Amino acid sequence: MVLDIKYKELIDTAKSSGVSDLQVREQNNVLYIDGNAPSGNVKDELWNIYNKIDPDFRAGDLVLNVNVAVTTGSKAKVITESSNLNIRKGPGTDQAIVGKGAHNEMVTILNKTNDQWVLIKTDKNVEGYVYTQYLELT
Amino acid sequence: MIQIKAKSFLYGFLLLSTVQFAECKSKPKESDTSGQSTRIDSSATTNTPSAPVEIAPDDALQTGLRDATKDYPDVKAEANNGEVTLTGSITRDRLPNLMQSVNSLHPKKIINNLTVK
Repeated sequence: MVLDIKYKELIDTAKSSGVSDLQVREQNNVLYIDGNAPSGNVKDELWNIYNKIDPDFRAGDLVLNVNVAVTTGSKAKVITESSNLNIRKGPGTDQAIVGKGAHNEMVTILNKTNDQWVLIKTDKNVEGYVYTQYLELT
Repeated sequence: MIQIKAKSFLYGFLLLSTVQFAECKSKPKESDTSGQSTRIDSSATTNTPSAPVEIAPDDALQTGLRDATKDYPDVKAEANNGEVTLTGSITRDRLPNLMQSVNSLHPKKIINNLTVK
């Protein structure tokens, strides 16, 4: 267990900032950190620490899978860089686009499909799947 | 007489250096052993869950990578036995977002060969 020493600051911060279901495992010289972050800020903080310990994520010795817990019925903000967010028929970029979410628009979370895709509904009643990375979950 | 003195001095020097060499050799062995016992101690006290890490199959990784890299036209991603290799180029400000997506796909390992601009 050498990697848990290298990434000690990251593990300690995950523990102290309320990451739930936290698992830290080392397998074949790769450290796997899994868990649910209580907010997007905590997730960002963990990634900043990761980037500080291993600049530009070059070492290939950590898989950091800490995602923000999705609450059904909660609101989320569309945080695309500038363009509109594609709302799709199913969870995949090969699925048809059924609508668009405007930059900074608030949408309602209906269901989490996996760590990448969530089912949402807009205020104009457009329902479909969006890529979680482009939502700021609250 | 001078020759004998010189010879005995040489033998003495050789003997001394052999002893010193042997001492040097034995020291790392001791520290190796103590290092090993420390490692055993630390693993015994670490609270590590025994469940093995779940690694996604390559086809699931490929689908996930297609979605994750869709908005990064200069990035290429391949999955091979759970290992994801990223090639191409990206700007530094967008790298964390891409890495966050790739890290959530349950890969075995991520090899980042991207040129960061």
